[in-house]
Amino acid sequence: MKLNGKHIDKNGAGYVNLRPEDDEDMWHLYNLIQVGDHVRAPAIRRVQNVSATGSTESHRVRLNLTLEVTRVEWAPARAAGEATAVTDNANPNAQQTSTAGLSISGRVVVENQYVKMGAFHTLDIEANRDVRIEKDEGGWDSIALARVEEACVPGRGAEVAAVVCGEGSAVFCLLSQNMTVILQRLEVPIPRKMAANSSVHEKGLQRFYSQLYASFLRLIPYSNPSIRAIVIASPGWVRDSVFDYIMQEANRTGNKALLGVRQKFVKVHVTSPHVHSLVEVLKSPEIATQLKETKFAREGIMLDKFFKMLGTDEMRAWYGPDHVALAADRGAIGTLLISDELFRASDPAVRKKYVELVEDVRQKGAEVLIFSSMHESGQQLNQLTGIAAILTFPLDVEVVEAEEREAKEEEERRKLEAAEAAATE
Amino acid sequence: MSTPLRGKDAQSLDLSGLNLMQDDDAVQADEPPPKITIAREKVLEEAKQALQGDSDKRAVNLVVIGHVDAGKSTLMGRLLYELGKMDEKKRVANERASGKIGKSSFSWAWEFDGTSEERERGITMDVASQIMNTPHRQITILDAPGHKDFIPNMISGASQADCALLVVDAATGEFEAGFDRGGQTREHLLLVRSLGVGQVVVAVNKLDQVEWSQARYEEICSLLRPFLVQSGFQPSKTRFVPVGAMAGINLVKREGPEAEPLNVWYKGPTLVDYLDELEPPTRDITAPLRFPISNVFKGQASGTAVVGRVCSGLVQVGERLRVLPGDETAVVRMIDSEGDSLQWAAAGSSVTLYLTSIDPVHLNIGSVLCPPSAVIPLARSFSARIIVFDIQVPITTGASIELFHHSRDVPASITKLIATIDRATGTVIKANPRVLTKSASAEVQITLRTSAYSGPATIVQPIPLEPFSVNKEMGRVLIRRGGETIAAGVVMDILSS
Repeated sequence: MKLNGKHIDKNGAGYVNLRPEDDEDMWHLYNLIQVGDHVRAPAIRRVQNVSATGSTESHRVRLNLTLEVTRVEWAPARAAGEATAVTDNANPNAQQTSTAGLSISGRVVVENQYVKMGAFHTLDIEANRDVRIEKDEGGWDSIALARVEEACVPGRGAEVAAVVCGEGSAVFCLLSQNMTVILQRLEVPIPRKMAANSSVHEKGLQRFYSQLYASFLRLIPYSNPSIRAIVIASPGWVRDSVFDYIMQEANRTGNKALLGVRQKFVKVHVTSPHVHSLVEVLKSPEIATQLKETKFAREGIMLDKFFKMLGTDEMRAWYGPDHVALAADRGAIGTLLISDELFRASDPAVRKKYVELVEDVRQKGAEVLIFSSMHESGQQLNQLTGIAAILTFPLDVEVVEAEEREAKEEEERRKLEAAEAAATE
Repeated sequence: MSTPLRGKDAQSLDLSGLNLMQDDDAVQADEPPPKITIAREKVLEEAKQALQGDSDKRAVNLVVIGHVDAGKSTLMGRLLYELGKMDEKKRVANERASGKIGKSSFSWAWEFDGTSEERERGITMDVASQIMNTPHRQITILDAPGHKDFIPNMISGASQADCALLVVDAATGEFEAGFDRGGQTREHLLLVRSLGVGQVVVAVNKLDQVEWSQARYEEICSLLRPFLVQSGFQPSKTRFVPVGAMAGINLVKREGPEAEPLNVWYKGPTLVDYLDELEPPTRDITAPLRFPISNVFKGQASGTAVVGRVCSGLVQVGERLRVLPGDETAVVRMIDSEGDSLQWAAAGSSVTLYLTSIDPVHLNIGSVLCPPSAVIPLARSFSARIIVFDIQVPITTGASIELFHHSRDVPASITKLIATIDRATGTVIKANPRVLTKSASAEVQITLRTSAYSGPATIVQPIPLEPFSVNKEMGRVLIRRGGETIAAGVVMDILSS
């Protein structure tokens, strides 16, 4: 993303001009634009003219529109198998084009010669076109500004291509800083072995390997220098067979580009052939050392740490918005895990609450990790109410809740007494 | 008219180019589906008699379980040889071929480990089944893999079993490795118990490696006994037997010089004697048919073959069956059991069905065949009563898990912890618990996971399930996470999504 202009006053009102370049930028925009913001972006609008005689003519005009946002919709990049093929099949190793879609609906707030005030429009945000986001007072909070900054760091992050496979199934994914894109799911029915003859089984396996290889060539941009590692993960020994098959085929067909990246291949053991094993991939020592400075690897490791803490010392692992808020009040939070989904709340008050929580916790010296819900780890955190914390010292939920209740009762009693005192006077 | 009239022939030629008029040869070539030859009532009568009658051999499904390298496949291979099911020629062939790649110690296991990868690695990866005959029983053996990566396959096999044969390695240190935390002896026992298996025979194998020490045998038995009781196996339904699988000692008989050290202290029955006593459970043949598919392959002739066990009800040749999930139906052309063609098969029997009038793409491992009049419900979300196993990390709301049901394995999440329950009385201890820790009993809500990351959720395909109260066999589920079985449960209610 490119930052083309920014003016924000000390109250957090102002605008930012951004130029998105890829899917990841779309995701950032999706997280930045809130209901109520003013967004200006290029659009194509059909304009109808009624002539004096009553005949109508319509034509399309390209123009800039400013909307007051009422709805933001995000369509993640589709797997090739699920929707119509969107990737450029002919040349997969070329620069990936943007495939994720972001559409913003709302009413036009700046009139121009074609469009009246208050007319509805839906903007489809395109790559390489400037977008201007204007927020009211307090809109540009620390979280939003941090995101703008993060989005505009050039050459950020590592990309990892991963193939999670089992016998007869494979999922191709691409992991970048903020999102996991599932490129394709491959399922090949393999007859299971039978005592008498194993040839059907082996034939099925061969068919599976060759289809997997074809998909691999088509989908994984293996020669792209931004790909740091190509992970082949599976339970059992499927990954060895798959890797051997890929190398053998590359040798046979003389695919020099593929042979050249041989050292980028990493084989990782996972416990199930489903997509959610990606968490296991990220925390495996082979991958963790390579990617330890990247954000998404850190997210995976921290979430794992949280679950482990839940097992060993339940009093130091809290989750749920209310509980975490209580822990924050007591200054107990060591690491806060929070999902970006919570900041997308349509109610600005809710967002503000979480922003304040994050600022407060940060001020007390704790680490804050904002998880992307486009990653498996973020998905799992979302399932777990979207917010969790590892505490620096143990606190018993029950005791704290009891304390809170007491404090509340105390306060009420005091209020009641004050009221009584006022009445008797 | 200036343009020449195009003849009718030209027109039909054009049309034929579009393949519109063409007869579909493939369909024509299919033989007409067979008719039902016997009346339903008569089949039911016959099946009832067969199940009660003592004259016939009663059928039992036996799953062979145990830690990796305990010698499960070797034991079963040797047993088949002793019972005359495997001929001398095959034995010699296996011995020679395994010797050639330097794995002669695996030669007996080759009877079950058929694929080249299994043979190379000397490890069972998928369930193999064979039928053997003892004097009073016809036993379908399901040889399960012991390696922990292949537990999904083991579950698929165990869900077809009535009884279990646990093989443990008596060698010093080996038994302990299998029985300790993380060993498969424990996990397998819990799994089969949760899948409804009540009878277990424990074969203490490789006693020859410890000089047939009686003390070692007793030690292993005394370690296993309390665990078996704790896992829910009744002591009256558990049997222990010392064996030496490689040399074939105490499988069928105890003879010869090699068996001498054992004869000194062991006078009890042999393994086959115990297997011959296994009691088949009561079968529900009046309930609607449920046939979960555990394997699909292309039959030799026309049609597609599906393998599985009839969980409840009856199936007969010529019957039209619905395949769930999906909208397709198929007709049963043939029922095959070990090369014998049958007219019908009742609950409890493991058979191969040859189906026609269906495209094989609609038949998947994990699908369930049922009568069109009584289809099994499909579920995306359901409530279940679960027992949590010995786990390190507690179960929280939203925990992502893998859900196992027969041969199917789907990602799911625990969406709600409804209550923890007292196991003995069934009363609620705590509603909406924060976490479930080890050995808790609880009621939870499980929802299948959509695979999409945010945005418009893709619709997840529901799976066929029935509440435990309706059909026991179709109502059991297992829950795994990170390669570990964390809980087992029964389906209470199917929630409409």
